[in-house]
Amino acid sequence: MVHHPRYLIILTLGIAITFLVFASITHEGQPRRLSVAVVDMDGTYLSRRICHELNATSGVEVRAVFNNHTEARRAMQRGEIFAYYEIPNGTYNQLLQFNAPHFVLYINSAYMLAGTLSYKQLATMGMLAGAAVQREVYRKKGYGEEQIMGLIQPIEYDTRTIGNPWINYGNYLMTTLIPAVIAFIALMHLAYIIARERQERTLRDWLKSAGGNTIIALLGKMLPYTVWYTLLLLICNLIMFGFMGFPHEGSWLLTVLNSMLLIFAAQCAGCFIACCIPDPPLTMGVSAIYSAMSFSLSGFSFPVESMPHFFYSFSWLYPIRHYFLNYSNIAIYGNGMAQCWPQFCALITFAVLPFLGSLILNWQLKKESLPLNPSSPH
Amino acid sequence: MLKSLNDIWIILSCEVRRVFGDRMVLLIFFLAPLLYPLIFCGIYYNENVENMSIAVIDEAKCDESKRFIHKLNATPELDIAYQCSNMTEAENLMKNHQVHAIFYFPKDFSSRLASTRTAHIGVFCDMSSFYFYKAALTGGNSVLIDEMHTIELERYEKSGLTDVEASIQLQPVVFESVTAFNPCGGYGSFFLPILLVLVIHQTLFLGICILNGDANENRYSLKLIPAHLRRKSVHRVIIGRALCYILIYTPIVTLDLWFIPRWFHLPQLGNLYTILGFALPFILAVIFFGMTVGGLVVRQKISPMLCFVFFSLVMFFLTGMVWPQESIPRFWYHFSLIFPSTPAVQGFVKIGSMGANLELVRTEYMTLWFQTGIYFITACCVIYFHNFQRKLKLLALKKIKSAILQ
Repeated sequence: MVHHPRYLIILTLGIAITFLVFASITHEGQPRRLSVAVVDMDGTYLSRRICHELNATSGVEVRAVFNNHTEARRAMQRGEIFAYYEIPNGTYNQLLQFNAPHFVLYINSAYMLAGTLSYKQLATMGMLAGAAVQREVYRKKGYGEEQIMGLIQPIEYDTRTIGNPWINYGNYLMTTLIPAVIAFIALMHLAYIIARERQERTLRDWLKSAGGNTIIALLGKMLPYTVWYTLLLLICNLIMFGFMGFPHEGSWLLTVLNSMLLIFAAQCAGCFIACCIPDPPLTMGVSAIYSAMSFSLSGFSFPVESMPHFFYSFSWLYPIRHYFLNYSNIAIYGNGMAQCWPQFCALITFAVLPFLGSLILNWQLKKESLPLNPSSPH
Repeated sequence: MLKSLNDIWIILSCEVRRVFGDRMVLLIFFLAPLLYPLIFCGIYYNENVENMSIAVIDEAKCDESKRFIHKLNATPELDIAYQCSNMTEAENLMKNHQVHAIFYFPKDFSSRLASTRTAHIGVFCDMSSFYFYKAALTGGNSVLIDEMHTIELERYEKSGLTDVEASIQLQPVVFESVTAFNPCGGYGSFFLPILLVLVIHQTLFLGICILNGDANENRYSLKLIPAHLRRKSVHRVIIGRALCYILIYTPIVTLDLWFIPRWFHLPQLGNLYTILGFALPFILAVIFFGMTVGGLVVRQKISPMLCFVFFSLVMFFLTGMVWPQESIPRFWYHFSLIFPSTPAVQGFVKIGSMGANLELVRTEYMTLWFQTGIYFITACCVIYFHNFQRKLKLLALKKIKSAILQ
């Protein structure tokens, strides 16, 4: 039976809003037209040309041309621009005389994504400008086009980004963050429901209604929410991999299994925390601390392998870490059960937790260690 | 004047007693702002990916490819874990998560270099985490640039050019890049300053909501004006309570936004007075926001943890630090301004990481004061209407009683 449907509706709305926020913000794949500036101390045709060429790209847009470094630095500190080129005085003359003029590119890397992307655009521009000068020299020397390219760029990378060919940030963020949010909510919701039974002092009635069998009582509480949150996760996955076109190489059956097991494992963790801690507010606090780390320890934003060893080992206690590994197995590499089974086993292992929780709950009831009114007024 | 100060003092001392009498609120106010930064500073202690395992397939087997492979192994980002003989072998390693990138040198690598045609190297990146891609590109590009310079210089020297002439030919334009405000480009230096502000926002907001829920569950209301105060003194109740939270949060702000970035060597260019000056409207806005939301919707002590904690992720994304604010659709941008965290994160990162002063963060500062004003009015309205409703109920009860007596 679903208690307090008000919270189920609120949390479902919360999931929908989270999905909408991420989907609508990242729908272009990468942020476009990032603000950059040029500090033009030279004031010649060259600096105007640089502005035009930068504006011709979709990645950046020159929002301002400053006369000195301080103005540009202050604009950067105000967050108005993410990067700027400084063209020193006499650059054009130096270029004409083959004196290798210096350009300085300043990047604001406090904004990680915007800084990196604007750096990429501006650095490419810089390299192309240098290459254009070289190409003109070689052309005049009578070299053929293919040879010129070989001289300017002897080696080139042919990069293939597996699992995200368009380098789409929506694909990267949403495929793990949305399941992480749903698992987070599933865990917190179950912890809340058990904590509420304790708080309202209906724990014994609830257990009595399950025939005195704690494990049946716990599973009975869990399953309606397992079904509901799994359904929500499957709908989100269907929208992401089906309608939004994110790559999904492997079997859909495995994705369904992965989603189901994620929700189930997250709920098992929530159930265990709620059974172990007799104080309802503390249950919610511990659940929140445990869950809040799940986004980082899934390893999708910053790889867990690069974290200190303690946190790397700790990440195995998070269902989302196993889900993430299997997502990469199934959707990115198209792997089958042969590669996915260790993670599935790990997720199934979480099923031990409700049994342990039921033992602890029984012990607490026997000892009558349940506080009569845990949230006594102060 | 003295009377109103006395009223505020009474409310303030009542609120301090309530905060220190509630274990849950104590944990949220005092433990969480210390625990979360410590945990996350530990998680992101290594700022960048180092020695990422890669596989190399060298079908060219020439001097240039061997030199390239040696240089790849020498970069701090990459570590050649496997040298494979064919693509299938490397592909299997990648599928089993044993390597996160593959560098493939085709057979024609040396012949193309010898005939001054562009030689290609295939790079296959695991995109499950963008940090794998970043490490492969950073390590790979530094070797590529170095190797191209070596090859070009060799060619120029062979054609009889002097060193100076060769370097001018090589680099007609010299580019120098300066990475400001996060010199190592580390994830921790980017993420932690945002997290610290969000932790302050969420703990204060949740604490206030929990106090509201607790009061509601125990059938007394924080929304009620104490009996000795008149209904017109709504603002005194709010100011008294706000002062209590300001007293508690001033040391917490100093700890989280001043000491912790220094202890963990995060970028910190701002001075303490600017930080505290900016924190005042932020704390006030969060307090009044908490009082409004807590008064309107919170009925239980434990429900705020259920309903508001997960939303931190959306708030984090809407701050404009991850995705630039100008690229966020206008609707979501305006939606993000509901939360004091949006201007606060922008402002604190600009002050802390970028060394801005209050004048440079004027927009954020004014937005926070604007939010403070709006939420002060809404918090007053919540209390006023609650009392008005209660008065109506009492009147109705009185009428019923007199009707029964008649």
